[in-house]
Parts: sequence; C-alpha cells; structure tokens
Amino acid sequence: MHEYSIVQAMFDQIERVAGRHGARAVRRVRVRIGEFAGVDPTLFQSAYEVYRIGTLCGDALLQIEHVPAGDDLILDQVELEVQ
Amino acid sequence: MCGDCGCGDEKVIPVDVHERMLAGNDRDARHNREHFHAQGVIAINLMGSPGAGKTAALEATARALGRDFTLGVLAGDLATDNDAARIRAAGIVAESITTGTACHLDADMVHHGLHHLPWRTLDYLFVENVGNLVCPAVYDLGQDANVVALSVTEGEDKPLKYPTMFRKADLVLLTKVDLLPALEIDVALIEENLARVMLRPAMIKVSSKTGEGIDRWVKWLRGVGKPRGAACATGAGLEG
Repeated sequence: MHEYSIVQAMFDQIERVAGRHGARAVRRVRVRIGEFAGVDPTLFQSAYEVYRIGTLCGDALLQIEHVPAGDDLILDQVELEVQ
Repeated sequence: MCGDCGCGDEKVIPVDVHERMLAGNDRDARHNREHFHAQGVIAINLMGSPGAGKTAALEATARALGRDFTLGVLAGDLATDNDAARIRAAGIVAESITTGTACHLDADMVHHGLHHLPWRTLDYLFVENVGNLVCPAVYDLGQDANVVALSVTEGEDKPLKYPTMFRKADLVLLTKVDLLPALEIDVALIEENLARVMLRPAMIKVSSKTGEGIDRWVKWLRGVGKPRGAACATGAGLEG
C-alpha cells in the first residue's frame, strides 16, 4: 500500500505549486501512471480520495492517464483557482 | 469563471508541473549514492517475499565474503530486530530499520539507518528490504544493484505476477535449491518467466544451507560497480 505514501508526496508537490501561485483551491490534478510504475491506479485513486479531504484539493478532480509499458509516475498538471 | 471583466469570479489557471511524484525520494537516493561512491562502498538492495531467504543468503554471504571484504547490513523490518541479530551473529555489522507498518524502505530511512552503522569503512553495504514483492520496487535507495531473492517454494509464476519487481532486478537469487528434490517445481519455467520480464535476465541458483552456488553469487558481487564487461564476465546469465 505504498500508494498512500506516493499520494502524500504528491500532495506536498501540489501544495508547493499552489503556494507559489497563491492559489486558494485546486480544481483538477492530472497525473500519468505507467504500467510498470508499480502503482495501482485504483489504489492511487482511493488514497487520493482519503487525502484530499480538508486540503486545497477538497473539490479537485483527479485525472489519471495510463501509460502502457511505461514506468512514468508523474504529476503532470494542476488547475489552480486564483483570485 | 473569469478574471478579466471585474465580475468577481475567480480565475482558473493550468500550471504544468511535469515532476516525478517521487522526486523527493530520488533526491535522497542521489545523495546516498554520492556518499557511497565517494567512500567506495558498493550498495546492494536485496528484496524478496517474506521468507524468501534474504537473511539466510546474507548469513551465507558473510561466511563466504566476510574474510576478504568488510560487509555491513541495514535490515528493514516491520517490528523486530531479529534479522539484524541473526546477521550480527554471522559476524558482520548489522542494524535494523524498524518501519512500523510501512511496507518498504525509502532513501531517507536508509540515510538515517546509516547513522547507526560504520558505513564508511564498508566494502559492501547490503540493504535487506522489507519482505514484499510490490512496494520496495518503487523506491530508489541509492544502490548500485537490485537483487531479488526468489525461493523455489514460491512457484514458477512469481515473475509474471510481480513484473515490476523483477523488471527492476539486476540479478535474481533462486534460493533454497536444496529443497528441489522434494518439490515439483520447474526451474526451466522460472527462468523462462524471468526472461519475459527482466530487462537483462540473470539468475543464480543458491542454497544458503549447503553453500551451493554461493561462489557464483560472490563472483557476481565482485563484478558489481565494475565496467559492464567485467560484470558480464561473472557469467550470471540464465543458463548456468
């Protein structure tokens, strides 16, 4: 269940990016997960649902792009709500 | 949804990140690797299922390699010091990294573990990962090589069931081969399955109990960190 620690690391990244842009919320999170990344997308999604509660990502949609035969594990893009 | 007309609606901006989620661990691993290389320490990440024979393999390694080289072990363990204690009894320095409920080691845990080990004096540092064929494969620790212990009692299809782990392996140690006469296990099929998932298939059959194959494992270890030609000369292909 390392998906939880990976999602935790991703939230640290998102918070840094959001902080740099002075965002008050995140609307969307796009990630890329390769077939050989060693990460189960379903477990990743469940971990995300648990972690996002009470964070900037509370209402953010997670979009997972599956990469066949790749070992990508990438935070690609976030959509930030700024004023 | 607009930020231009003064209606007070918030603005949504896309920000490209394109960063590995484990970038933090990758940085820690790079830091470990730089330390190891600067001090001439060869680091081996030993992975495998619980009960695959990782600790026994390290005890046998201590007996075979301990005379010529200084060895040390960091043993990842959920709750006990048992593995490190066994390895210390075999005459080499060993320290536990107790992970609690964490199913794998990461580079930062290894870094902290090093503080309890005279690691600068070592020729070889073995990191015995938490017994698990899934999670440890995802985390770089700063090692020179990944070795996966697979015991003959685990069945022929483990490489196909856990392809990420075996894909990351530089070598598979097929352990407990002394049990083969009592089992109906097709070693050729294990090799065939490894060849389907490993990037550079290499397997050595060993028995930590009888010592069979330990000489070939030691020879392989002596080639780690040398130019690829030298490593190939140790001959750990699949036919052997």
